[in-house]
Amino acid sequence: MKLVLTIAWRNILRHRGKSLVIGVILFLGALLMTVGNGVISGMAAGIEKNIVNGFMGDIVLISEKQKSENILLDFMGQAIEPITTYKKIKPVLQNQDIVARHLPVGKNLTLVLKEDEATPGGAFLLGVDFAAYQKMFPDNFRIIEGRWPRPGERGLLVPTFAREEMANYMNLWVIPENGTVIKEHMKKETLEHIDALTVSSNVVMMGMASGMNSTSDIRFPVTGIVKYNALSTIFGHFCIADIDSYRECLGYFTAADKAVAVPKEEQKLLNLEGTDLDSLFGVDPLIVSNTRAPGGAAVPGGAAIINNAIVSGSSVTATPLGVENGIYNLVLVKLKDGVPYKTALGRLNRALAEAQTGVRAITWSKASGPIGSMALIIRGALFVFVTLLFCVAVIIIVNTLTMAALERTSELGMMRAIGARKSFIGGMFLGETAILSSIFGGAGIVAGIAAVKLIPLFKITSTNDMVQILYGGDIFHPLLGTSDVLITLMQLVFVTIIAAVYPMHVAGSITPLDAITRD
Amino acid sequence: MNIIEIKGLKKDYPLGNTVVKALRGIDIAVEEGEFMSIVGPSGSGKTTLLNVIGCIDFATEGSVKVGDREITVLNDRQITDIRLNKIGFIFQTFNLIPVLNVIENVEFPLLLMKNQSRTEIRRRADRLIGEVGLTEFAEHRPAELSGGQRQRVAIARALVTNPDIVLADEPTANLDSVTGAAILELMKEMNRIEKTTFVFSTHDANVLKYARRIVKIKDGLLSDN
Ligand SMILES: Nc1ncnc2c1ncn2[C@@H]1O[C@H](COP(=O)(O)OP(=O)(O)OP(=O)(O)O)[C@@H](O)[C@H]1O
Ligand SMILES: [Mg+2]
Repeated sequence: MKLVLTIAWRNILRHRGKSLVIGVILFLGALLMTVGNGVISGMAAGIEKNIVNGFMGDIVLISEKQKSENILLDFMGQAIEPITTYKKIKPVLQNQDIVARHLPVGKNLTLVLKEDEATPGGAFLLGVDFAAYQKMFPDNFRIIEGRWPRPGERGLLVPTFAREEMANYMNLWVIPENGTVIKEHMKKETLEHIDALTVSSNVVMMGMASGMNSTSDIRFPVTGIVKYNALSTIFGHFCIADIDSYRECLGYFTAADKAVAVPKEEQKLLNLEGTDLDSLFGVDPLIVSNTRAPGGAAVPGGAAIINNAIVSGSSVTATPLGVENGIYNLVLVKLKDGVPYKTALGRLNRALAEAQTGVRAITWSKASGPIGSMALIIRGALFVFVTLLFCVAVIIIVNTLTMAALERTSELGMMRAIGARKSFIGGMFLGETAILSSIFGGAGIVAGIAAVKLIPLFKITSTNDMVQILYGGDIFHPLLGTSDVLITLMQLVFVTIIAAVYPMHVAGSITPLDAITRD
Repeated sequence: MNIIEIKGLKKDYPLGNTVVKALRGIDIAVEEGEFMSIVGPSGSGKTTLLNVIGCIDFATEGSVKVGDREITVLNDRQITDIRLNKIGFIFQTFNLIPVLNVIENVEFPLLLMKNQSRTEIRRRADRLIGEVGLTEFAEHRPAELSGGQRQRVAIARALVTNPDIVLADEPTANLDSVTGAAILELMKEMNRIEKTTFVFSTHDANVLKYARRIVKIKDGLLSDN
């Protein structure tokens, strides 16, 4: 063993040029592999940070009736099934020590309507209790215009991305109530057609929950414009409304509420009072005014409904207790640090089934559908890149070593003639590759680790969402754990062995006779 | 006792569509401790015969026994072990491992054998380097030695394992006549001291006077001594 390595080491020094070529390739390979793994890990951590901490939590509870698990951004898909059992779910979650916090939300697609626009736009609507939402996701966005809705107040937070979309597709520029148009907040494309824009401080949305009671058009007063810190083109699809307005918009009434709620057809008829019949076929009649009640509550359908509701002594904007009786679509769950998803899913699903909640738990990556898979795709692309890099490295090393083996035919044949076994010759070549890869590959890994540690200090930023996913947030922040370094080491060992196999075979096949017939 | 016994040895080399009959039926026996020379004109088959005896090339037909063992039936591993343990080689050129110095080259076969201690190996290599008169060059690499010195290292290495036979194919062909004579003197001296059988080939008549037995070869057949 010592002899093999001695010869291998001295051969490396003797054939410095070739050794250097192989060494540089191993160095670059290891460096790129390390940085690549760092970027992949950083990306995974970043996506987790952004999506888990800023938008979805670790675990999402969905109705058992819900077929597609992709509940984040599915424009084509079915509406999200309602969850009617939050009252049962809450104690289950509260009793689980693995759960840090949770937030029930309504979430569905809505049409955004505008008087003079024939084709409606689309936006996702989240229905939340604003105070609870802030506790769950304290720093995922900031308000750049307007303010948070006050407790119990009806209102809508519109993200910058959704505002730009409305401007582009509907010529609608929304501003908070009592706000002004701030041109600096407009994108260039929007500024170009600024004259065509209608400025409004409310947005009319119509819920798109299929098969659920009747939906309504609700005029939401805009209280604030929000800007997400990262992944704004993804999260920015979601306008956030108070849960009561959301439910009205989607036509979500519980059995108790139903007694007082008016079916859609009736609502329309009620609306028609005082309107001309022709407009029934236009867009306008679909838009119902949103009348604000003194307590900050509003009911769709105008005065008639309000009267109706008040008369029956019930309201959809009831006490918090009443709110929790109502319908949600998802329950977002944040786990305590370090709880493995597998354990969490198992425990939650068992407890949820026992309590007959009619919901099941899925991970955020399943729930985020294409975004979770986008991370996978980028990961896959990087993996392909690293694999290609491997192949190139292996080919060059194999080529160089094989040439070296053939050049040393006389020497190797002579060694065989005086009694060296094939394995000895093979070992020599493996030894050379192994020494080179420990020195140069090792240096490459160290340099890679250094690069990964230094990169965040340069604060490289991007506002592009795809790049942000790669960056793992708004700052390029690759990460390296011990396991990543171990993986790179294993990859390096793998490359070394693969690269040495063929030259070892070639060298081992050189016979003493080859050596003699050479000269 | 015969250390080499060859019967009806034939060796054909395929060459395109034809076959070169390099050896055409060799019968010979070599006794232990002999100092024997194979002579013949160029292309007569000297190298081929030595290669077959040395387990470097393989017979097409016939029987070859080296120290009691029929080598024509062995596999690569067994053949390699015979080369290591029973035979010492001195080639015309390319004798030494360039990256090892003189003493390391001489130790090399012993290290491959792995049956002696490090000190024992060093002691034996030192002794043989002394016998071939290269003690002061022990730390030199082959590139720093003359052709004659390299052949002396090769002799030391061929003998260091105490082989049954030392085979040398034209060991002096690359050397001037004075140096060549010195090498043959040395081989003869080693034959005397170590009692090792030497078989070497040459086509140089001057070299023949050192041989105790001469075998003539022509067109792949032995003629009378
Ligand atoms: N590998 C080979 N392929 C084909 N023919 C070969 C091969 N090796 C040797 N021969 C032929 O076999 C014959 C004997 O060759 P060999 O090398 O044994 O002769 P030699 O006596 O050693 O000659 P020299 O004195 O020139 O070294 C020659 O005719 C040679 O051409
Ligand atoms: Mg010859």
